[in-house]
Amino acid sequence: MTFLGRLAFNLIAWALVLVIAFPLAWMVVTALKPQSELFRRPPGFLPEAPTLDHFRRLLEETPFATYFGNSVILATATTAVVIALATLGAYSLVRFRYRGRESLAFLVLFTYLLPSVVLILPLYLMMVRLGLANTLASLVIAYTTFALPYALWLLRSFMAGVPEDLESAALVDGASRLGAFRDVILPQLVPGIISTALFTFILSWNEYLYALVLVNSDAARPLTTGVMSMLISAFNIEWSLLMAASVMMSLPLIVVFAFLQGYLTRGFGAGAVKG
Amino acid sequence: MAGVELHRLRKEFGAFVALEGLDLRVEEGEFVALLGPSGCGKTTTLRMLAGLEFPTAGEIRIGGRVVNDLPPARRDVAMVFQSYALYPHMTVAQNIAYPLKKRGVPRAERAAAVARVAELLQLTPLLDRRPRQLSGGQQQRVALGRALVRDPQVFLLDEPLSNLDAKLRAHMRAELIELHHRLGRTMIYVTHDQLEAMTMSDRIAVLSAGRLMQFDTPGAIYDRPANRFVAGFIGTPAMNLIEGRIAAGRFTGQGLDLPLAPGLPEGPAVLGVRPEHVTIGEGAQRGRVRVVEPTGHETIVIAELPGGALVTARAPARARPAIGEVLPLGLDPDGLHLFAADEEGARIDPAR
Amino acid sequence: MAMTRIERRYAWLGLALIGPTVLVFCAVIVFPLVAAIYLSLFRIYTPTLEGAWVGLGNYAELLARGEFWQALRTTLIWTAGTLTLQMLFGIAMALVLHQSLWFRSLARSLVLFPYFVSTVVAVLVWRWLFNDLYGILNHVIMVAGVSDMPLDWLGTMPNAMVSVILVGAWKYFPFVVIAVLARLQTIPEALYEAARIDGAGPVARFFDITLPQLRDVLVVVVMLRAIWDFKEFDLIFLLTGGGPVTATQTLPLVVYKEAFSMNQMGMAAAHAVAMMAVMLVFMIVYIRRTRGGQGA
Repeated sequence: MTFLGRLAFNLIAWALVLVIAFPLAWMVVTALKPQSELFRRPPGFLPEAPTLDHFRRLLEETPFATYFGNSVILATATTAVVIALATLGAYSLVRFRYRGRESLAFLVLFTYLLPSVVLILPLYLMMVRLGLANTLASLVIAYTTFALPYALWLLRSFMAGVPEDLESAALVDGASRLGAFRDVILPQLVPGIISTALFTFILSWNEYLYALVLVNSDAARPLTTGVMSMLISAFNIEWSLLMAASVMMSLPLIVVFAFLQGYLTRGFGAGAVKG
Repeated sequence: MAGVELHRLRKEFGAFVALEGLDLRVEEGEFVALLGPSGCGKTTTLRMLAGLEFPTAGEIRIGGRVVNDLPPARRDVAMVFQSYALYPHMTVAQNIAYPLKKRGVPRAERAAAVARVAELLQLTPLLDRRPRQLSGGQQQRVALGRALVRDPQVFLLDEPLSNLDAKLRAHMRAELIELHHRLGRTMIYVTHDQLEAMTMSDRIAVLSAGRLMQFDTPGAIYDRPANRFVAGFIGTPAMNLIEGRIAAGRFTGQGLDLPLAPGLPEGPAVLGVRPEHVTIGEGAQRGRVRVVEPTGHETIVIAELPGGALVTARAPARARPAIGEVLPLGLDPDGLHLFAADEEGARIDPAR
Repeated sequence: MAMTRIERRYAWLGLALIGPTVLVFCAVIVFPLVAAIYLSLFRIYTPTLEGAWVGLGNYAELLARGEFWQALRTTLIWTAGTLTLQMLFGIAMALVLHQSLWFRSLARSLVLFPYFVSTVVAVLVWRWLFNDLYGILNHVIMVAGVSDMPLDWLGTMPNAMVSVILVGAWKYFPFVVIAVLARLQTIPEALYEAARIDGAGPVARFFDITLPQLRDVLVVVVMLRAIWDFKEFDLIFLLTGGGPVTATQTLPLVVYKEAFSMNQMGMAAAHAVAMMAVMLVFMIVYIRRTRGGQGA
């Protein structure tokens, strides 16, 4: 390609990329603009007097901090439970032979595609009966319905990528099955586990429907429903506040993107595309 | 005694029979190669010996003890894998020490044993490296070191040299032979490479499609192949196999007419003759030269018999018969093998 | 087939390892799934959870009602519309990102971000962009002279459906990008060189090499995205709530509405089951595909 051709291509490509990225850039810009600039016509792109005031108000005047804390606990707990279960389960599915193993793998794939709205009605009844409605625990339980099949599916694919000879070698060298798992397989699986954990965390962090149905108190509300309830309860919608909340809500993601993006792509390859 | 005995060993994977009733007896200290084309069941046999697969039927004895129900850890065998299977997250020293660690050997003793093995295999300067920082040959040595470090009853080697380049392979072959002499341990070596099997082993078990074809010394397998499969599989270029029949003490077929030793059963048969027992340019038969391949130290000539079959011959290095030329062709009467014409193709020997 | 004692021991160990997962599966997935089907046979008032057996009555009513059919149609329109855009944007962007682009990894990050961002965030941002008075989109449209009136993006038809489809495409096309990009990277360069020697131009190379090589991954992505778009709840619910009136009310929204606004838990379950029956077609095709490709 000639230099001009390359220049043209790069300009067009970057224009496209910027169009895609614009809504999120606008979110950040809005969150930093003082109220006075928000409704100015014509709107300026960069804030003239950037302010963190909206963030301060968010933390001081709204239950945002509680929601944030809830989301952290919720996503962490779900990830921990699901990763622990799924790692052992994936090991079993990939490296053991017993009757029903294939049907089980099939069931995992099936549930991975199952719509949440089907499960939510019985789960709601279940939580009410168990007296767990309006607790974070009910959400952890509900989140396993999508996170566990997902994690199992990903980890199964990662597990299959660990050479079987490594386990065989460990067995011959004197390890038991579980010993070989701990000494040899688990260390090889670490990148896959990290990647699966990131996905599980993000899924749980972003979940909305279960949180909407199962939790109806500010004490146990995670960010997704919490921030939406701020929108609904406010008399006039405070967009700067909502955009500040959106930025804060995306914070863990930004961290992941900045430092751990390789794990995301890896997880994608393992779970989504290879099937 | 730490020989290995396989008794009617059978292995099925679903409907596929990988091994059908293998009987094999390896003496203590012997170096035995399991040789065969891929899919013949040799690796399955080795994995069953190691305890990585379990027999559908039959019995495995190591050192006289039935090990069918023992996990690999309690069989006292060591194995070298084709892929080497080095633990990527451990250093060379940790890799070699792992079997000892799993057996509860104290740290100081472990270090000493690792140092000894590293010395033996010239790995000492590499002990702190990770496997991915090593060359193929070095990885190979580490895999060996991990097997050697704990002095097991039996060494199992699964195509350990197949991932090395030709030069390194020859070198490692010599090293393995020397190692076997020094240690005097039972070694069972899986390979599809007949050169490795012929040069290294005391005895070779030739397998095909899950069945044992012949189990004998390399010399015997070369000189007296038990059936058509072994005859065709061992030796490069391969033995010529010519279809025909035995009648009135002579073999006829493809335009050949040869006197045979007395006492052979009459009927259809396959004549086997190695290329070195075929002479071009003299003899009572005739053949048209089709291909001439000078290799330097000899010349391989492929000639067409009047019946259409091709015969490969080893000719002297400077021989250059013209292509298309019809030349006399001789078969050394002492180099003739006869096999049944049926599916089994068993060797036919004169009745004594 | 007879197992040796140690094989049986291994099998038990395997079952013990998968056991907790199976238990959780049964408790939170299999049992609720069966319960959902069971619930659909009752008339249940959500606040009191008192129910009466109606057999297949809910289904008869559902099929007779126009609402179900309308919602199904809306769901299909939404799925087809957003899926098409996702695939087109996705493939195009993957091809662009596969070229040597300045700051390629930054461009990739920016493109992938919408997929990982919470739907709540995506919806808030877009509702702000769509805002009738101060939304930047309306401003741009008026400055550019496309329209002299601010557009009502979410409150009228067909604008609402178009907006939902667009936001859906923006949010989910990165999935297609990643999948296609990963596959593009595994196409051997030699194929292109061979084609170039044979005199194929860039367009011919795309249709003769790239597209056939992408075929398998595209089929899987289409199936997967179709399933996920079909069951999408958050995005539509939060953007339009199904409105104006019921113009963007897809099946998952009907289930939610029946259960928690109309308080008809049984009827909601019947909708959910009916919806799943439709999805089963996609799911079976998808599972067949992946199984064939993977050989378990």
